[in-house]
Amino acid sequence: MRKSISLLKFVFIFIIGLTFSKASFSQCDTIAKICNKHVKLPFVSDGQSYRSLLLNDQSAEFQTTFYGGATYRLAGCSGLTDGNLIFTLYDKDRNVLFTNASQKNAPYWDFKVSSTLDCIIEAKLNPASGNSSGCAVILIGFKQ
Amino acid sequence: MAFKFFPLTRSVCVLSIASLLVTGCGPSKHEGNEHGEEPKDSAAPPIVNINGQIFSIPSPVQTAMLIQQSGASFSKELLNEPSKAANYQTTYDRALNLGVYGADLGYLTIYSENNQALAFFAAVKKIGDQLGIASSFDEKLMKRFEANIGKKDSIISLVSDAYRASDAYLKDSKRSEVGALILAGGWIESIHFATAILKTKPSQEVQNRIGEQKTSVNSIVKLLASFKKPEYDNLIKQFKELSALFENIEMKYTFVEPTTQVEKQLTIINSKTEVKITPEQVQTISDKIASIRKSIVQ
Repeated sequence: MRKSISLLKFVFIFIIGLTFSKASFSQCDTIAKICNKHVKLPFVSDGQSYRSLLLNDQSAEFQTTFYGGATYRLAGCSGLTDGNLIFTLYDKDRNVLFTNASQKNAPYWDFKVSSTLDCIIEAKLNPASGNSSGCAVILIGFKQ
Repeated sequence: MAFKFFPLTRSVCVLSIASLLVTGCGPSKHEGNEHGEEPKDSAAPPIVNINGQIFSIPSPVQTAMLIQQSGASFSKELLNEPSKAANYQTTYDRALNLGVYGADLGYLTIYSENNQALAFFAAVKKIGDQLGIASSFDEKLMKRFEANIGKKDSIISLVSDAYRASDAYLKDSKRSEVGALILAGGWIESIHFATAILKTKPSQEVQNRIGEQKTSVNSIVKLLASFKKPEYDNLIKQFKELSALFENIEMKYTFVEPTTQVEKQLTIINSKTEVKITPEQVQTISDKIASIRKSIVQ
């Protein structure tokens, strides 16, 4: 009897996971396609797509290097409309260089960099959007 | 709480586990871990325990642009042979060389070497097909590529978008390690350009750019190591040796308050980084880069 219940649990979890998995991939793909419109010429993509599933007040982050002499465009998206993702740019010492929270959650922002710096990009869901979970997509473009 | 950007598939696993907890199938009788210790923060969701990390590796195209701006002439000898694409028989070799050919394609396009660029695009397409990312490098893209020959910016944008699409596809299909190898290959090729160019045309900017790779090389080591693939061990070892050569490069960072121009949606980063890299350091890094690249493209 116990074995049957365990098997049922496993099957249930597997189905939930599989369903969630497909829905998540599909959701992220759609968001990434929407976000792509913010990184167009004269900006060139850095060739990568940064994604993370977020729940409630969780935040996601990654490190990158911005080279001197270039202008970068950072685009952040979640959901099907703009303004659902709050992104913040820090230097390596965690000084805040920019947050779109103080710019009406702008979906993209440009950064003119005169001297190369290592930085950290942090993203979290906008609590005002009413979404308790979602896929966060960050894209980076540059122009020389 | 914060966690790193990581492959989506791991998020899915975590959320599957979360669904297990939500449905009451969790370890309700034993709240502690296997050592009998209580969790430090019982309110924290399990997602914070995932330690997958994704690092951003700057585009190889940017380094190629800097090289052209330095006044260096085009040099075909710097590139991998497109005909060698057929020689790469494993996913490991193919992925690394897809990165290499992508950087070569960027270099050729920046120097407007359009006819040669077509041959490299064919190599990229061939390897892309073999790696199962044909949708990113399909016939449609090939036609757009040919139609835009001569429009440098459009070609660079097309190729970069295709690499971004393949990166997204690989992450979604539980093949992030292939994407990581592509990034590593592209990075090696672009630094190979920079170190080789310095031998014929000294440039302080290019020399500094080499020094500025200190963080990127560490990121590549961590990224490759995160997959725990024994077949990557030798490559990781080589990158670790390379990373050690960057250790003594001095980078002095000074924070300066940025200025924002709201109407232009622009922030000017005023902070400064001073790089101190000696010709001897450049030489040892150059030798190591050449050695790693040789092992990739042979």
